[in-house]
Amino acid sequence: MKRIWQRWVDRRIPPADRQQLNQRTIFILPTGAGLVFGLLLVIMLVTGINYQNSLIYLLTFLLGALFVAAMHQTHRNLNGLDLILVRAGEGFVGESIPFVLRLGSERDEAVSIQLSGHFSPPGLQSVGAGGACDVTLLAATQYRGPVSMARVRISTRFPFGLLEAWSWMRPRTAGLAYPRPLAPVQSTLTDSEGDHQAESVVGAGFDDADIRPWREGDLSHRVLWKRFARTGAMVIADWAGEQGSPQWLDYAAFPGVDVETRLSFLCHQVIERDQAHQLYGLRLPGIIIEPAQGGVHYRQCLRELARFGAASDESGGAVAFPRPTEARR
Amino acid sequence: MLALAGWYLASVEGHFTVDTASSFFVLAVGLKWLETRRSRDFYVLFFILVYLAAVNFLFQQAIGWTVINFAGVLLLLFGLQVLNAPNLSARGLAGGRRLGLMLLKTLPVVVLLFVFFPRMSPLWTVPMVSGQSRTGISDTMTPGQISDLAQSSERAFRVSFGGAIPPHRELYWRGLILDQFDGETWNQRQAEPFQVPAPVALDDGAEILKPGDYSVLLEPTNQRWAFSLKPSIALSGNIAPAGQDLFRFARPADTAVRYRLSRVAAQLSSAPTLTASERRRYLQLPAGSNPRATQFARRLAQQTGQPVGFIKAVLTRFRQQPYVYTLRPPPMPTDSVDALLFDVKRGFCAHYASAMAFLLRSAGIPARIVIGYQGGSPGLDNRYLIVRQYDAHAWVEAWIAGQGWARVDPTAAISPERIESGLQEAVADEGSFLENNWTSPERYGDVAVIRWVALQLDRINYQWQRWVVGYQGQSQLDLLSRISGHLSLRELGYVTAGLMAAALLAAGLFSAWRQRGHWQQDPWRRLFDKGLHVIRQAGVEVYPGDTPDVIAERASRRYPEAEKELAGFARIANNHYYGARSAESSPAKRRQDLTRLKNRLVRLRRALRQAGSSRKLSPDR
Repeated sequence: MKRIWQRWVDRRIPPADRQQLNQRTIFILPTGAGLVFGLLLVIMLVTGINYQNSLIYLLTFLLGALFVAAMHQTHRNLNGLDLILVRAGEGFVGESIPFVLRLGSERDEAVSIQLSGHFSPPGLQSVGAGGACDVTLLAATQYRGPVSMARVRISTRFPFGLLEAWSWMRPRTAGLAYPRPLAPVQSTLTDSEGDHQAESVVGAGFDDADIRPWREGDLSHRVLWKRFARTGAMVIADWAGEQGSPQWLDYAAFPGVDVETRLSFLCHQVIERDQAHQLYGLRLPGIIIEPAQGGVHYRQCLRELARFGAASDESGGAVAFPRPTEARR
Repeated sequence: MLALAGWYLASVEGHFTVDTASSFFVLAVGLKWLETRRSRDFYVLFFILVYLAAVNFLFQQAIGWTVINFAGVLLLLFGLQVLNAPNLSARGLAGGRRLGLMLLKTLPVVVLLFVFFPRMSPLWTVPMVSGQSRTGISDTMTPGQISDLAQSSERAFRVSFGGAIPPHRELYWRGLILDQFDGETWNQRQAEPFQVPAPVALDDGAEILKPGDYSVLLEPTNQRWAFSLKPSIALSGNIAPAGQDLFRFARPADTAVRYRLSRVAAQLSSAPTLTASERRRYLQLPAGSNPRATQFARRLAQQTGQPVGFIKAVLTRFRQQPYVYTLRPPPMPTDSVDALLFDVKRGFCAHYASAMAFLLRSAGIPARIVIGYQGGSPGLDNRYLIVRQYDAHAWVEAWIAGQGWARVDPTAAISPERIESGLQEAVADEGSFLENNWTSPERYGDVAVIRWVALQLDRINYQWQRWVVGYQGQSQLDLLSRISGHLSLRELGYVTAGLMAAALLAAGLFSAWRQRGHWQQDPWRRLFDKGLHVIRQAGVEVYPGDTPDVIAERASRRYPEAEKELAGFARIANNHYYGARSAESSPAKRRQDLTRLKNRLVRLRRALRQAGSSRKLSPDR
């Protein structure tokens, strides 16, 4: 029954990054309080009949008519609301991924809008007539891969909380969850070796490093702080090792480790290299990212790691959340 | 909490009345108020308070109370609104305006419902609103005691007359009869006959009063007495004759009741007679009480002989000897009749009525005491009569063979002002009128402004009571029948249902019209929307922000056959929205353009359909 209902609703509300609510897509029903209120009206009417009290009739009719008026008002509160998914965020598994939703209202103001779904609910939102506001929804992530906001429920109980009007939005664009970074355990040796090498490069490379005074624009971690502590002069080391041989981060470097853990190791290494401002490339089965450096490269690597294994062409599609996957750790 | 619950149970003592139930609600509100944490608690509080507002109408129905009560309910609704929009800035003003607007929109529906909703008779017999006694006359009379009713200016009832208001001295409102005297107190020999409580219609209809008819709006008394003039016959169905020319309700009047009578003597087939047992009953006296009065009466009866002569002689004595009508009589604990007649000679109506009845019975003339009200003060413009508690009166009826019961009022002999113009005139010299009642406006009746304001307020309240509070089944049927012939309750139900359906439909249509309104107003926009729809249906994506040219180009890439039509459509759109001439072109020209756009749309649709079908026929293309 529920499945039939869901399918019907899904047909009515196709996935889209922009949706304007109208009477086709808004549903409205009395809340629990509304049902109790209806019961109260019946009791009041019976009291009025039995005690032949005109004023109780009057009060009952007034409240009943206001209930109907509230129905219209609650419906109108959502009607015409324009929802746009402005940005689908990215982040590591375990972090909250921000989705930015813009609520715009053309004619009527929309008061006390509640957004709910697979994210921590933001407070009640209000949009003035002709205004707009951005709401950041933080979706918790448990699995690597595309994070879809399967359904965002938009509801309101304004003005009296006796009725609830609601609708859904099914954003098409998905966010992305990178693997959780994990320091590789088995390769501690090689890794520390690598570090050691890097350090030795730094240590040994002082001779062939260009040491020049600090200029505006130099990153703070390139300053030789030890020297600063000793002499008080801020100098920068431009050592040759930086432009030296690139490091390949290879999927095949961790034999006997399962897929997700491998990806986590690689993710950790990517972050490490990026922070160390080293050149690095990524080798995944079927995907090779040439060594490079910088933010764009970093993102690209993380995205490939996040999407790895999932049907690559489906990345933008609607993936049900939570994703049934063997990727559980 | 437990202590409160215990106290409540102890004070209720297992009796269930609306009183006790509503005090429970009040208690519940008080306790709930202490523990409102979540919004659910506020809703519980809201529901209790709303119901309490309804229950309040059982006790208070005056217009002022109604206004306060409704204002309270609106405040509650306002509170709910704030509860549901806590983050809204300037919520006070905007919320109030929103609520007011909503109220304004619903008002016509409320009025319609109020007028047309069929007033059914009660579904089952309900408990009394209140078990407490109210201010008003009681069913015993002890002349020795001071009655404090004369100090109350509360309304007892109001009367509208068909025709002019009869003169003050004829307005003897009979309520009940006391026929048994135990030496101190007069009471009823038979307590009020038991009657199964039945629902009582609270109104007497809305027909215009004919001359001689009168309609009484009685304030709640918690008694079954329906005050009436003698002689009268009942016109409304909610009162029934109860013997002794009295009328009774089938159920104590615990809310205001309106009933209607006509001053017509019931036709008697033969001369009235008194049976032997009735005669004994109306001659009953306690043995050995008031010896001087007994002796006096016997002597006087021997002198005068006929009952009429005896009555005249006694009234003459009252008139000629220095008897005083006063609201401050000295206490007369024993043999009150003797003390009044021969020693004190000061008293008010109860004293004199008691003495008169005693003398009559001692002389062998059957007599009884009637309790009720006498007189009343006219309301604004002499349109109706207001009878107050201080108009309470007691007088005597004596049996005269061949004539029946005749009214004998000793007070009229002692203080004619009391009967001619009321209590205030009668005790004007004494200054005892409402002397303990500082707040009553009637006390300051000689100040013109206060009097006028009081009368205005009373009139407003009277109309309110008659037409709003008293708008019950009979009034509804009368009124609506006046509009459209005869109507039954069932037909009224259909009318109500039809009206409500129409109102709901109108509201729905209005909001639907409002919903479509913004694009229906612009025929261009509507045509473009249709065109976009056609293009979308052909499977071409249209993104928000695309210009007509971009859309046309994208569509022509897919359907090269329709390129010409698409480009044409886009050109008209561009010309209309971005062209320089469009703003200043004449209406005729605009209409022409619109027709051209329509034709374009038809051609476009055809072209795309043809292109789409040829695509289907040869899928490999």
